[in-house]
Amino acid sequence: MSESHALKADIAADDDLVTPGRTGWQRFESTLYGAGSIVVLLLVWEIVPHLITISAGTKLFFTTPSQIGGTLWTMFATGTIWKPLGVSASGFSLGLVLAIAVGLPLGVLIGRSRTLNAMFDPFITAFNATPRLVFLPLLMLWFGLGLGSKVVIVFIGALFPILINTYEGVRNTDRVLVNVVRSFGASEWDVARLVVVPNAMPYIIAGLRLAIGRAVLGVVVAEFFGSESGLGVMMVQAAGRYQVAVVFAGLIVFAALSLAMTALVQILENRLSRWRPQHAGNE
Amino acid sequence: MTDDAAPHISFATRHRKVLLGGFSVAIFFIAWQATFLFVPFNPLFISKPNLILDSFVEMLFSGDLLHDLAVSGVPFLYGFTAAVVVGVSVGVVMGWRVRVGYALDPLMTVFYASPLVALAPLVIVFFGVGVSGKAIIIFLLSVFPFIFNTAAGVRAIDRLLINVVRSMGGTEKDLYLKVIVPGVLPYIVAGARIAVGRGLIGILVGEFFAASEGIGYAIARFGDLFALDKMFACILAIMIIAVVLTEGIRWAERAAFPWRIGQ
Repeated sequence: MSESHALKADIAADDDLVTPGRTGWQRFESTLYGAGSIVVLLLVWEIVPHLITISAGTKLFFTTPSQIGGTLWTMFATGTIWKPLGVSASGFSLGLVLAIAVGLPLGVLIGRSRTLNAMFDPFITAFNATPRLVFLPLLMLWFGLGLGSKVVIVFIGALFPILINTYEGVRNTDRVLVNVVRSFGASEWDVARLVVVPNAMPYIIAGLRLAIGRAVLGVVVAEFFGSESGLGVMMVQAAGRYQVAVVFAGLIVFAALSLAMTALVQILENRLSRWRPQHAGNE
Repeated sequence: MTDDAAPHISFATRHRKVLLGGFSVAIFFIAWQATFLFVPFNPLFISKPNLILDSFVEMLFSGDLLHDLAVSGVPFLYGFTAAVVVGVSVGVVMGWRVRVGYALDPLMTVFYASPLVALAPLVIVFFGVGVSGKAIIIFLLSVFPFIFNTAAGVRAIDRLLINVVRSMGGTEKDLYLKVIVPGVLPYIVAGARIAVGRGLIGILVGEFFAASEGIGYAIARFGDLFALDKMFACILAIMIIAVVLTEGIRWAERAAFPWRIGQ
């Protein structure tokens, strides 16, 4: 099954970052080294301009962590960040909500029906392999330079991880459970509600996590090429004016947005998988 | 698929999936074409499959398409090769030396999680719109899957196997050829599959921004010119390449590492 491969590889790329079973000292050591390397990198970056003289030309492209921090602080203190951030965030959330609203039911449907699966498979494979960015110029023609094209590009970016993971989770549902519920007279809707979706939840959550990354990417590129306002627009304009610190500040805000959303999904996951017996022992 | 294809099962049942898939694709294109029998056709807004096919064939034989693809292929090759070399080496060290792993894991995670595409305007301003700027964007986007997957592959190597080879008097060469490379390679190839998609994004971003030729530039320009049939033809070309690359790697994985199937 081709999709299962994609799913596992995608999950592996995220989940292999966590190595289980560390002792207390090892955990301390890993935190120490991990935080240490980040601090060292920032320090080196900060003092490089003091150690070597940078030519005036290169200086235009150079910034330091303190300048980036200062820029971020000013943007939040003066409130100039809120408007572009609001524009970006609304595009992001609308697209993501749409992707969930379409991807989840469609994933359940093609997971439950072999015929539908076979009919949708060529489209899913083709669109999932293609970088959705190719459609951006087309979407700009169709939906204009505003919110519309941004929402659609976020939507098609986030749709496939959710769709494929939901499908995969539904396919892995225990047949016995489905048959039991059916024997008690459950309709297909009941089967989905009581057995299939709760069982697929870990897959759906993993898909959601991937989708957040894709959605942020969608917002960034949509604003780079086809928008009038938003964080991405701010960054492109800043790059044109050699305000490198602003570009990095924008990058940090985008990264923070994606991390905050991922943390939210993590909370959701913990809440939704509380009933799972094997989950109680962990964490 | 779990269903066993026993010889007595009819052709239609055996190839049900392929037949249904082909059927739905055919229906899709026929419906697309047929819609304009009833709806007025506006070539500035949408195209028709027959026009797209005509443009595709025309651009293919005039050499325009191949030229643009070649122009885009060069930075892709540079950036992707650099990503393989750097990513695999960093990944091996991160996987092999525990403390290096501790030190680099959070840092790399931060980079991997942040939308590095956002640095594209800066890279373009700094390195220009030529091959180097695009290659660097592609490198930045595609290096991290290699790092993480290689590190995971090295960590997953069974220490017992290493000890066995050593006990049996195997040399370092045996160790590498018989244990380490076969163990890590599937992970690297799986990383390559993810990296290809990200690399293609890199090309498109680089060329949408500023370029004078290349497939991404062609798509953006035909969009600006409202030449939708040509634009769809270029999109079709990218789709074909993306599917061939990803499915090709997937096929190679299945052929070369059959023991990985189902893992």
